[in-house]
Amino acid sequence: MSPYVTTILTLSLFIGTCLTIFSEHWFTAWMGLEINTLAIIPMMTTPKNPRATEAATKYFLTQSTASMVMMFAIIYNAWSTNQWTLMQLSDNWASIAMTLALAIKLGLAPFHFWVPEVTQGIPLLTGMILLTWQKLAPTAILFQIAPHLNMKILIMLAILSTLVGGWGGLNQTHLRKILAYSSIAHMGWMIIIVQINPTLTILSLTIYIMATLTMFLTLNLSNVTKIKSLGGLWNKSATTTIIILLTLLSLGGLPPLTGFMPKWLILQELINNNNIMTATLMALSALLNLFFYMRLIYASSLTMFPSTNNSKMQWYNNPTQITMLIPTTTVISSLLLPLTPLFITLS
Amino acid sequence: MALLHKLQNGIHFPKLCGIQDAAQCFLLGSVFTGYPSRLYSSIKKTEAASGTSSPEGKTHGGLEKQTKGEVGVDLISPKEKIEINFDKAIRAEIKDHFKVLMKELVGRWIGPEGRPLHEILLENTRVMWQFRSNEDLDKWLVTSDRTIGGRSKAFLKMASNNQSALFYGILNTEPPHDGETQRSGYCAMTSRIPRGAFERKKCYDWSNFNTLYLRVRGDGRPWMVNIKTDTNLIHKSHHLYSYFMYTRGGPYWQEVKIPFSKFFFSNKGRIQDDQHPFLTDQISSVGFTLADKVNGPFYLEIDFIGVFHDPTHTEEFAYEDSKKICGNL
Repeated sequence: MSPYVTTILTLSLFIGTCLTIFSEHWFTAWMGLEINTLAIIPMMTTPKNPRATEAATKYFLTQSTASMVMMFAIIYNAWSTNQWTLMQLSDNWASIAMTLALAIKLGLAPFHFWVPEVTQGIPLLTGMILLTWQKLAPTAILFQIAPHLNMKILIMLAILSTLVGGWGGLNQTHLRKILAYSSIAHMGWMIIIVQINPTLTILSLTIYIMATLTMFLTLNLSNVTKIKSLGGLWNKSATTTIIILLTLLSLGGLPPLTGFMPKWLILQELINNNNIMTATLMALSALLNLFFYMRLIYASSLTMFPSTNNSKMQWYNNPTQITMLIPTTTVISSLLLPLTPLFITLS
Repeated sequence: MALLHKLQNGIHFPKLCGIQDAAQCFLLGSVFTGYPSRLYSSIKKTEAASGTSSPEGKTHGGLEKQTKGEVGVDLISPKEKIEINFDKAIRAEIKDHFKVLMKELVGRWIGPEGRPLHEILLENTRVMWQFRSNEDLDKWLVTSDRTIGGRSKAFLKMASNNQSALFYGILNTEPPHDGETQRSGYCAMTSRIPRGAFERKKCYDWSNFNTLYLRVRGDGRPWMVNIKTDTNLIHKSHHLYSYFMYTRGGPYWQEVKIPFSKFFFSNKGRIQDDQHPFLTDQISSVGFTLADKVNGPFYLEIDFIGVFHDPTHTEEFAYEDSKKICGNL
C-alpha cells in the first residue's frame, strides 16, 4: 500500500477513536465509530487473497449491523427522553439496544462469530489493530453509559463470553484465532465489572491491550501464525520464546505477572457486591483460557520440536527488524503487579 | 418428499417435535437435507432386520454386488415388502446427529480434530481419501456435462480387489442443442464437503502440509486437479485452484506429487491474471476433471489421495503476483 494511503488510514483510525472518546453528543460518537470501521476496511484488504476480502466483508457487515442498532437506540432515546447527550441514556429499551450494539462491536458472545474468522483472514498487524485499537471507542462509550446499563444482560454477556472464549480457543492451531478467542474472553471480564466499577474496565482493557500488543509484535517479528511454526522458534530466537511465555502467562492471569491484577480486582469487586456465583464461574472459565495458553507455551518454550534446518544457531545472529517496542510492552505486561496499590488509588 | 408428506398431514411432527404449529417445522427442514437417501437406507435396514430378503437376492448375490458397486440406484425385488416408517427414520436421523455431536464434544477435549496436539504438530503425512469399500465411494460426487444437456457419461465404482476406485466413462464434446451453449465435454469427480453434526459445514486444515500426493493409474489423458476452499460468501463459490495431472497410461501406478504452490487460481473456469497462493487452512473439497476436448472413453484409477510436508520444497508461490514486476495486475 502507498505510504500516503497508509498515513491517511492510520490518521482516520486515530481521529475516529478520539472523536468517539471525546464526544458528548451521540451523533459524533457514532460518527467516530463509523470512521473507525471505514478506515480499517482497506487495511484488511491489503493482502491479495479472497480470504482477506471475505474477512473485510464479514467485518463490514457485522459492524454496520451494530451501527444500525446503535443509531436506532440513539434515536429511540432521543424520541423518548429528548436527550442527545451520551450520559443521558435513561430509556430502558434504548439502553438494552445500545448494549447489544456495543456487544456486536466488541465481539462479545453470542455476537462473537465474526471475531475468529476476521482475525484469521487478515495480516498480523491489522489483526493487532482490530483486537486492540478498535476496542477503545466502544469501551469508552460503555464507560460513559455504565450507570444506565442492565446488570442482568451484562452478566449474561460476560459469562457467555468467558465460556465461549475458553471453549472456542481449546482446539485451535492457528495463533490468530487463539488470540481472537482470548479477546472474546477478556472482553467478558471487562464487561462484567463495567457497572460496578467502570475504572476497572479501563484498567483491564489497558493491561489486555499491552499484553496483546506484545504477542502480536512478537509473532510478527518471527512471522509465525501456527503452533507448528511456534515449535521452531527455539532455534531462531530463544528470547522470543521467553517473551511469549511471560506474556501468555500474564494473559492467563497468573501471579506474579501483571495480568493477575485486573482479574484479582474484578473478582474482589464482584464478591464485595455479593456476586459470588458469577465470580466463581468467571474464575473457572479463565482456566480454559489458561489451558490453551499453556499449550502454546508447551510448544514454544517447554519443548524443542524437531527442526528441519541444518543450522541450530540461528538465534546467534542479530535480528534485522526493529524490536524496540517489544521489550517495553513485555515489561508493562508482565512486571507491573507490585504497582497494584497505585492503580487501586487511581481508581 | 417424506417431510412434505408429514407436514401436509401434520400428524406425526407435533408428536415428535412437541410443537403445535406444523409450519414451524419448516425451520427443521435444513436439518434433514439428504433425507431421502438416508430414508432409503433406513428402508434397507428394516429389510435386513426383518430378514425379508428374497431367495432371488441371495442367488443373484454376485450380480447384485456388482450392481451395488456402482454409484446408482440399487434394485429391489418387487416381491419384497417395503416398510416405510418416516417417524423411525427421522428419529434415527436425529439420533445419529446427536451421536456425532457427542463425539465432537468429546473429541474437543482430546485435541484439535479429535486427536492429541502432539500428533497434529508432528505429523508429516496424512491419507485423506482411500478407496477400499463402497462407503469410500459415497464421499465423492460424480458430475458431467449431462447437467447442462451434454452427452458425456461418467461412473465411479470400486475397481478389482476393492483396492482402488475406478472413475470411467465416455467423453462427448458435442454441445447441447439449446442455442446458447457453444462448448461442452467434461466429466468430474469431486469430494463431498465434510459435514459435522446437523449438517454443519466443516473443512480440512492442511496448513501443516505443502504437497498433494496422488497414487493413480490413468489412460494417458491430461486431468485437472481442483481444490476448493471453504467460504461463506456465494460470490466466492466459483473460486477454484487447479493444476494439471498428466497420466501415463499403461499398467504401472503413477505417484503424482503436486506442491500447493503450483496451484493457480481461476474463477468460473477462467484463469485470473491476479494470482495468489491459496491458503491451506480451510480446504473444502478436491476434485478431478477431464475436459481435454477428445471424444472417447476414459478411465482413472485412484488408490489413495494424501497430503504430506516436503521439507525440500521451499517455493512459496510459482506465479508472478507482484505489481511492480507485472504492471498488468
